[in-house]
Amino acid sequence: MAIEPFIDFQGRQVLVTGASSGIGQAIAVELGRRNAKLILLGRNREALAQASALIGQDHCHILSLDLADPDAILAAVRSVVGQRGRIYGMCHAAGLVETRPMSAIKLEGLRAVMEVNLTAGIELARVVCRRDIMTDEGGAVLFIASIYARVGMAGQISYSASKGAVTAAARAMAVELARRKIRVNSLSPGLVHTQMTDAAFGKLTPSQVKELEDAHPLGPGRPEDVARAAVFLLAPQNAWITGIDLVVDGGYTAK
Amino acid sequence: MTTEQALAWIADIFEEPVEAIKPETPRSAINAWDSLGTLTLMARMDEDFGILLNADDLLQFKTAGDLLDMMKRHGQLV
Repeated sequence: MAIEPFIDFQGRQVLVTGASSGIGQAIAVELGRRNAKLILLGRNREALAQASALIGQDHCHILSLDLADPDAILAAVRSVVGQRGRIYGMCHAAGLVETRPMSAIKLEGLRAVMEVNLTAGIELARVVCRRDIMTDEGGAVLFIASIYARVGMAGQISYSASKGAVTAAARAMAVELARRKIRVNSLSPGLVHTQMTDAAFGKLTPSQVKELEDAHPLGPGRPEDVARAAVFLLAPQNAWITGIDLVVDGGYTAK
Repeated sequence: MTTEQALAWIADIFEEPVEAIKPETPRSAINAWDSLGTLTLMARMDEDFGILLNADDLLQFKTAGDLLDMMKRHGQLV
């Protein structure tokens, strides 16, 4: 009996935001390993080029775009589709985090976090799911959320609000888009050491960071741990998974 | 707005190529013109032209041309 790959994108095109580092980069690399063609979207062209080199440049297109300007997304994505063909899926892994106690929250900071983490994600999904952009077979959308969408953490109000909103939006999208065979899910990672999380926890003492790490029964995760789960949710072979928020956290929320 | 522009507007709402939408194009030929597409149509008619559609209006729309007639009645089509 021939063994078919459990996950194989068979040349389908997937757009990934936040691919210049951390979880987003790991997801892009893993997608590339599974025969996906990639559109790497982000602000830092040089960092995206480095990610592209890891994946294999033949598979990648770099789309330089600032997600803080959602109005620019449609024209940019249309242009790529004109050159490279339709899109099967997307993963919104880009995000802003802001560690501030409630008394120190400024509305412009809150708006900035919501703009990138939520608004840009919804607009990107709206564009990618257009009938003249997405493949006719349907596709898959994945939002990288956070365990802070489910459990509270002091100093993470803006971030938690944005990630909670993202998981709720994903569920609504899943129900609405199922008729077109478009699956929408979110993935909520626990503590994974990346540039973003290290910056966020820069305000904590080493013992506080250790306490957070120790709160994960399996210890902190790696970007690759999240990437494999992300690729599982995006894979065309997993055609009956939609509307879920998959927690990948080394047991943190099980306690 | 000219008829060509209006047809392009309809094509954009239903995410169809411009050449696929003609006045005689029936609703049944436009994949996105389902119940959700109707909600989108209602929102955009209101936002872009100030035209508020009611249930009777919606029942009468059978073709793209019916949408053009609605725009004409509201002075939005030259």
